[in-house]
Amino acid sequence: MHDTLVAFAKWLEGTPWGLMTRESIWAYPFVQLIHFTGLSIWLGTNFALDLRLLGVGSRRATAAQVAQELFAWNWIGFAIVLTGGFMLFSGIATAFISNIAFQWKLGMFVPLALTWHVVVQRKARVWGQTSDTPGIARFAALTEILLWICVVTAAVEIPNY
Amino acid sequence: MWEALEQTGWVKTLGSTGWMYSTVSVTHYLTMFWFIGSVAVVDLRVMGLVARKRGLGELAEQLFPWAWIGFTFAVISGFLMFATDAGDWAPSKVFHVKLTLIVVSALFAFIVQRGSRKWGLDPEISRAAKIIALISLLLWVATILSASEIPALEGLG
Repeated sequence: MHDTLVAFAKWLEGTPWGLMTRESIWAYPFVQLIHFTGLSIWLGTNFALDLRLLGVGSRRATAAQVAQELFAWNWIGFAIVLTGGFMLFSGIATAFISNIAFQWKLGMFVPLALTWHVVVQRKARVWGQTSDTPGIARFAALTEILLWICVVTAAVEIPNY
Repeated sequence: MWEALEQTGWVKTLGSTGWMYSTVSVTHYLTMFWFIGSVAVVDLRVMGLVARKRGLGELAEQLFPWAWIGFTFAVISGFLMFATDAGDWAPSKVFHVKLTLIVVSALFAFIVQRGSRKWGLDPEISRAAKIIALISLLLWVATILSASEIPALEGLG
């Protein structure tokens, strides 16, 4: 398993996009730009739904409406994050897979937060039918926000390990 | 002056205490994404690319208060990060570009916020409004790029 992962990481580093991210001075900031632009759309739309589920801020639209109207751009944002993230990863894949903070980020927090997000987004249609949301919805929304904070924290810690 | 800020007691503590600096960094990234994402959704709504069934004024009213809360935290945390290495950051040309872009982008965000109340009442959003929203969106992309260029071009951060 580990050998396969290392082999895969080495292969990624040799791909054209891996080489470009690592060796071209101008490419790296643009790749980071892709990742960060996607993150803005992704987290901005996630938090908009979570905050509506929590019942804070403007309540003129229901959580079900918010979930539905932001659905497309939420996942467009995710696709952009993934594209940029995959390219950043390819640049120094072998260093990333042996980095403990990265392992926590991609092995633990991202899958957890992502799964949680999908559940929240699906359930929002039920929880968000009325203006007031049930306790479980508020708990789920708060948990999602905390999970994304864990993801960002792990990401910020990567250079320190 | 910037060297003096860097040498202030609490700034030195912040810069040399791992968890404190990490907390400030996490706050900066998270609130920045939150802010830019919220503004971007309104920009896209003005351009007719998201939530078309929802009134523009109403969507702006829902997202902008959060956007400005995010902005405030991003500015405060950003200043704290700057302070820990102020002597090196202050003369950085690319950092000056970034700060200028932040001011101009925030101004456009404010114009979009104000405009949304009026534009949302019209049956069809005007081309001028859409262009303003597009500029607002592109300005944030440029701001993120300028931030990413600081380590690449000047080795800071």
